[in-house]
Amino acid sequence: LPAGLSQWFPAVEALDVSGTGLAEMGTELLSLPCLHTLLAKNNRLGGPGSLPKGLEQAPLARSLRVLNLSGNRFAEVPPALLQLRGLRSLSLGGNRLHGIPPDIQELHSLEFLYLGGNFITAIPPELAKLPSLRYLVLCDNKIQSIPPQLAQLHSLRSLSLHNNLLTYLPREILNLVHLEELSLRGNPLVVRFVRDLTYNPPSLQELAGRTVKTRNVPYAPSDLPESLVRYLSLASNCPNPKCGGVYFDSCVRQIKFVDFCGKYRLPLMHYLCSPECSSPFSSASQSSTSQSESDSEDEASVAAHRMQKVLLG
Amino acid sequence: MEQPVQTETWKAQSLEELVRILHQIFAEDKVSVEEVRRVTLWEAIEQNPNPLANTLYFRYTRNLVDNGNGKFNLMILCWGEGHGSSIHDHTDSHCFMKILQGNLKETLFEWPEKKGNGEMTKKSERVLRENQCAYINDSIGLHRVENISHTEPAVSLHLYSPPFDTCNTFDQRTGHKHKVTMTFYSQFGERTVC
Repeated sequence: LPAGLSQWFPAVEALDVSGTGLAEMGTELLSLPCLHTLLAKNNRLGGPGSLPKGLEQAPLARSLRVLNLSGNRFAEVPPALLQLRGLRSLSLGGNRLHGIPPDIQELHSLEFLYLGGNFITAIPPELAKLPSLRYLVLCDNKIQSIPPQLAQLHSLRSLSLHNNLLTYLPREILNLVHLEELSLRGNPLVVRFVRDLTYNPPSLQELAGRTVKTRNVPYAPSDLPESLVRYLSLASNCPNPKCGGVYFDSCVRQIKFVDFCGKYRLPLMHYLCSPECSSPFSSASQSSTSQSESDSEDEASVAAHRMQKVLLG
Repeated sequence: MEQPVQTETWKAQSLEELVRILHQIFAEDKVSVEEVRRVTLWEAIEQNPNPLANTLYFRYTRNLVDNGNGKFNLMILCWGEGHGSSIHDHTDSHCFMKILQGNLKETLFEWPEKKGNGEMTKKSERVLRENQCAYINDSIGLHRVENISHTEPAVSLHLYSPPFDTCNTFDQRTGHKHKVTMTFYSQFGERTVC
């Protein structure tokens, strides 16, 4: 960036230095008092010094709303970036990211996050702590699973997951009530009904824990070692409404198909307390032990009008 | 040396002029696909001051420019980074597509078998660059169009004749088709309220 930038153009609000071969953006950025948009696409940024030190104290940390660093060489999200607390829109598409830092949750004003075209393998559950996130793009990565916590993104309107390595989705995804668009093509999504995956029989500790919980055996912190008190607090309820059981670590992972808004069949992962338990999505007339190969029986009550665009194929 | 016989090549200098030329061509009962193909377009973006204003990220917006007195639809599509369409057919119409900005990848597919239950067959794929033009109709096959860039949005100009507002989308994994109704984000410059 040219020296004296802030002296010559103190009122600059939008700066576009895309395609200039920039390898670092220096301290000139720190003195710009009103910058709200910074576009630095297609440069050579990514090494140390890409963003200047001292960003936390600069006016930029509060004023910047839009940052586009797509088409650069970032192998990780620079920690300095997470100081830009006012950021609403961030694009790091087409870089070399292998992961997303959990501290991404610091960007609490973020509405738009573009991370397509990287090498990301996993999504940290902390991403779900962004309360205003409306558009999330994770296409063209190497993501193998979606954390169920992502369903906490209540503002999410658009989720782009195409061209990844997903075989199923967490059933919590049905809780994203404002989701209007979902792209899933180019994933090795399970197409046919998959029988129960491995089921490790519960340990004695688990069986005891289940009994304590389901029989409401009273206990006080003074009765048990702290580790067991903690263990008992982690019980998850079996989603089968007729079961009322709980499980700790030992559960059956089962892929069942859910009819998404009456049009698309999505493979969702269910966690049940035992192989005998039936899925909450089975219709009442079905026998709980029938494990039919047909995938058209399950239906979720997801309103059709909400989902305007589900791209599966 | 023999000169090949030249038929008229239309050169539109603006979007308005293009619309005028198209109206002229389509006023006849018979329209030559070749003639429409040869309509070249210069500086169309000037007439649409900010096509990117209609870009919604990873949702392409369809913006109707002209409805050709019922004979054709001319529209501008704005594609956010990473966005693609589903595989679709063209309801027995002719479709011309010209890239105004950026690049779009077109993947052609064979029609699935009647009782199709397997992965659809890719015929070919190509990347269309700025100013390139593509043509498709149902006898050629089905296609998916996508903006595979993660840094640049794309803008394309589409001409469909006769106009259609429903088509079938296809699941690449199974060949199953599903009828959809297409809507416009804006018409003649005005935002369409859904």
